[in-house]
Amino acid sequence: MNESDVSLCIDSVTKRFGDFSAVENLTFNVRRGRVFGFLGPNGAGKTTTIRMIVGITAPDKGVIELFGQRMSPDLQNRIGYLPEERGLYKKMKIVDQLRYFAALKNVPRALADERIDQWLERMNLTEWKTKKTTDLSKGMQQKIQFISTVLHDPDLLILDEPFSGLDPINVEFMIEVMSEFKKQDKTIIFSTHLMESAERLCNDILLINKSRKVISGSLREVKASYGKNLIALRSIGGDKVLEDRTLIEKVVEHSDEKVLQLLPDADAQLLLKRLLENGAVITKFERVEPSLNDIFIDQISGGRQN
Amino acid sequence: MRKFLAVVKHEYKKIVLKWAFLVGTLLFPVLGAGFAIVPAFIFSIKGEPTRIAIVDSTQKIAPRIKENLSAERVDAIANEAAKPSAEDLTASQSDQIRKNSRRAIVGFKFIDYVPGGKSLDEIRSELNRMAADGTIDAYLLVPVDTEESGAKFEFRSRKAGDFVAGELLREAVNSAVRSQRLADANISEAAVKELSKNVPLESKSIDEKGQEKDSDMLLAAAFVIGLMIYITLAIYGQVIMGAVIEEKETRIAEILFSSARPFELMFGKLVGVGLAGLTQLSIWIISIAGLVAFLATRSDILPFFEGIPQITPLMILYFLIFFLLGFFVYASIFALIGSVVTTVQEGGQFAFPPIMILLIGFYFTFAVIRDPNSSLSFWVSIAPFFAPITMPVRILAETPPFWQIGLSILINMAAIAGLVWLASRVYRVGMLMYGKRATVPEVWKWIRQP
Repeated sequence: MNESDVSLCIDSVTKRFGDFSAVENLTFNVRRGRVFGFLGPNGAGKTTTIRMIVGITAPDKGVIELFGQRMSPDLQNRIGYLPEERGLYKKMKIVDQLRYFAALKNVPRALADERIDQWLERMNLTEWKTKKTTDLSKGMQQKIQFISTVLHDPDLLILDEPFSGLDPINVEFMIEVMSEFKKQDKTIIFSTHLMESAERLCNDILLINKSRKVISGSLREVKASYGKNLIALRSIGGDKVLEDRTLIEKVVEHSDEKVLQLLPDADAQLLLKRLLENGAVITKFERVEPSLNDIFIDQISGGRQN
Repeated sequence: MRKFLAVVKHEYKKIVLKWAFLVGTLLFPVLGAGFAIVPAFIFSIKGEPTRIAIVDSTQKIAPRIKENLSAERVDAIANEAAKPSAEDLTASQSDQIRKNSRRAIVGFKFIDYVPGGKSLDEIRSELNRMAADGTIDAYLLVPVDTEESGAKFEFRSRKAGDFVAGELLREAVNSAVRSQRLADANISEAAVKELSKNVPLESKSIDEKGQEKDSDMLLAAAFVIGLMIYITLAIYGQVIMGAVIEEKETRIAEILFSSARPFELMFGKLVGVGLAGLTQLSIWIISIAGLVAFLATRSDILPFFEGIPQITPLMILYFLIFFLLGFFVYASIFALIGSVVTTVQEGGQFAFPPIMILLIGFYFTFAVIRDPNSSLSFWVSIAPFFAPITMPVRILAETPPFWQIGLSILINMAAIAGLVWLASRVYRVGMLMYGKRATVPEVWKWIRQP
């Protein structure tokens, strides 16, 4: 991997609060121009890690490098951070808040005004420019918060649960904006609990649990390494074969098909042969990849280690 | 630095561009003017003359009373009363006194009433009837023998509350009876007056340059200054706390901390809100100065402001400096509280101790006004927490030597440095701790955290 391809480099980072270890010896790289899915259950250490990346707190041990430089307050101007828990000043005009957030990222006033108008226009919020936060719906506030994240045209965008509170139309709109950023070779760190979104948007993923890394890599690699032994089956008859625990570890019933998890060294061809021998009428027999959701649940509920 | 200025500007505009600020800023001088002008105005309104019938069967006392209530006599009495402090009255001021006394004289109109041999009870009931149907407002029954032990003057009036007229009448009656007694005893009235003249006792305080100044209004002015600083410190301290809690409660802090250093954010907030407070205080002081200047041109209310201490521009500068010192002391405490608690309500409870300290400082101003040079006054006017209120009062009451003012400023600046440091240590951690209020050991840990 070329150095210039890496936007963010986290190297053996540890953060403790008293006896509690929030992040333990975490190492990963985020590549430029990619969407990086930062996944993990609640309390896994995601927010702590993000806070260290954006320079809110400093790691106890380890190094964080952004764009090839050690993290510093100046680099904060190149990051756009949309926290999971976010808010706006209740009784302040939208335009004034946006100007303030832009000023805190060192955006000159004229440029900020120009961008505010552009973004409000894009989000269909122009008429709300001089309204106060309390006049806006939850979804509108979300969009304003997003605007405040991108006003300084950051090179690294960190979005923590960006879709919560948005209707499907606005979710699609945000996804469109995200892909635009990606096209501009900007890096996006995307943290979410919604595995469907992650699966759809992410190029790379990192799964952490209990302050440690569990899986990392490109989405494709992760799924490929995970999905050797899953078979989607739609058939009539042959149920006896499925009870054979020398081949099949687990059967998950779906509405119109079954997903069979074979034992690691089991042969799918042998299973197919057995089914046919038992007179099963097969309409679907397909090797499938696990969904990210499956991987997540499997990993977090303390199941098999890959 | 640019971010720091952005925070300052943001906080300043957030307060100053609000209606509440405008209303508060305007309301204070209006209220002040109201307290000063309205009573003066009300007392200057002329009442209807009191029509009075004086019944005196001996005809000895009544003429004297009438004479005592005549315009010339009341004039003379008023001038006499004003004399001790009126030696250097300007022409317009003595003119003023004359006008005031005339105003009171217009208050009596004598109604002729001839008793014509009726009994006392009959006279009484007839006069009561006249008062009831509005022919007269009041009557005075002079006893036949004023020297008799049970003798009493009976004054009955429909306007029981007209104390200005009542007071004048009482004096007129007393003086009339006294004159009659002296006349009966063949003593010269003039000689008695000469012998019983009051010794003039002049009461003025001396300032550090050995110059005299009037002390009555000084106490009032010192009290007003103390109160003004106390109120502004309490209000702006809580403004800070509210702003901090809002950013914590709405989680804006998370975004702010990812953009600027916590110290810049907190100190910028203190400076911005402090400047807003300074703006308001300056507007007040300027409008008070303007009001006093305006009143000086209105000679009819001027006597009420006789003796207001001279407030020099240097004093105003000191007031503003001490306001700022006090502001930073208390605002950093309030910022610290705001970053520890989770809601405004909770903050309100914890705001109590600093408000108490502020209040104690305000109470110390009474001690300072009473004796600006006592050792207590010295200590409370250089002690942190108290000095921002007590020192301006002391400067006004009797400006202490400069080294004391300088020492007070230095000590308070040191206290501010310590408090701001402490508050910023707590702020940077506390602002990101959601959910529950931190305990004291936790806060202590945050302070020691690198």
